[in-house]
Amino acid sequence: MTTLLYTHPACQKHDTGFGHPECAARLTAILNALGAAPFAALEWRDPSEATREQLTRIHSQSHVERILGRIPKQGHYAIDGDTIVSPHSGEAALRAAGAVCAAVDAVLQRRASNAFCAIRPPGHHAEPDRAMGFCLFNNAAIGAAHARAAYDLERVAAIDFDVHHGNGTQAAFEHDPGYFYVSTHQADIYPGTGRREERGVGNIVNVPLLAESGSAELRHAWRQDIEPALRRFQPELIVISAGFDAHYLDPLAELNFSEDDYEWLTRKILAVAADCCEGRVVSVLEGGYNLSALAASVAVHVKALMEAPRAA
Amino acid sequence: MYEFLQYQVRDAMTVDPIAISLKAKLREAEELFEIHDFNGVPVVDNQRHLLGMLTKFDLLNAFRFDAHTLVPHYEDIMEQLVETVMTRDPITVTPQLPLSRLLQKLVETRSKSLPVVEEGHRLVGIISRQDVLKALRRTTVGCEAPAS
Repeated sequence: MTTLLYTHPACQKHDTGFGHPECAARLTAILNALGAAPFAALEWRDPSEATREQLTRIHSQSHVERILGRIPKQGHYAIDGDTIVSPHSGEAALRAAGAVCAAVDAVLQRRASNAFCAIRPPGHHAEPDRAMGFCLFNNAAIGAAHARAAYDLERVAAIDFDVHHGNGTQAAFEHDPGYFYVSTHQADIYPGTGRREERGVGNIVNVPLLAESGSAELRHAWRQDIEPALRRFQPELIVISAGFDAHYLDPLAELNFSEDDYEWLTRKILAVAADCCEGRVVSVLEGGYNLSALAASVAVHVKALMEAPRAA
Repeated sequence: MYEFLQYQVRDAMTVDPIAISLKAKLREAEELFEIHDFNGVPVVDNQRHLLGMLTKFDLLNAFRFDAHTLVPHYEDIMEQLVETVMTRDPITVTPQLPLSRLLQKLVETRSKSLPVVEEGHRLVGIISRQDVLKALRRTTVGCEAPAS
């Protein structure tokens, strides 16, 4: 079985303005790394745009229209201080969400064992009715909702190891026991959510980590909090919100994960997926703002996806 | 060194230092830091009563990661008022404090400079690490027997 790579040129045309950390060069760095010989078996796919039906499983109709209505014909428009859009941002956002839905289709139709979506803008801060934190539509949540609606899955889990809490995914899932959301993130930074007490209907597991936490704390969190809860949930599909800004070289936070940690964590997730859901994993790019650290971390993550264990 | 023991804060402090108002913007404070070699600037009211201290540390603190934005925005932060980020109730000293004791206080609190106030909390000076080092040199150089 193969690993699919979903990406689209429109995602590189989403221009956030001079010097913005969430920039097109992130994807260029990632795609250069994934174009190298060790990734020759990776199958590249162009996603189509997400449909209104797919988007509105998570977002309000008015949110979708508002965001697309704010895309300027030229120049930039600031949705908030962090979240900037420009003429190609609408297509990029639609292709990004579309990529996750297409990856879900491929994995659930057994055309691939897993997939990585190298897309931007990222999604996990986008709430059902609010864009924020570089995010317009919640790509991972839209993919999870697509899996449940189009394939009648009862239980879909999202694992989010971006350094920032995925407030948008939590907001989309917290009232529905058919979803499970687990996040490791740095405590007390943006967006301010993700405290341990935030448990939804028992389907949310937040593991805030103190600044300077690294490998040891990540592994402890996995063993103590994440793996037991994930196995109890018995997901039929795992969506990963794969942010790589907990890396020790990242400029936007203060956790100290390394490439080894990302590889280790990916293999642990894949092992659970093999036991619970025939290895079905769709991984979705979120943050990561040091270009070389991002490219190296994505490379080990995707390599692990390509070497996923066979389902039990 | 004996002469140093006779010194008080008023003998080494900068008298009537530049100060800034509560309602000044961080941009103005940053300009002061840029022009002068200040570590901190006293914050005063119209009668020069001390209300706080704004230090370079406070400015840096305004740029720390927080829950409000993913990226701290320089222009927005520089538009904030001094009163939002200054250190309130700063450690103060009086002009009569022996310089030897001021030195202890600077070290214990790791302060770079302290405002000097007289009765009624009116600002009369500021004293820095450099002022104390200068006083140490002035009061001892050429006066001490070389160590044997």
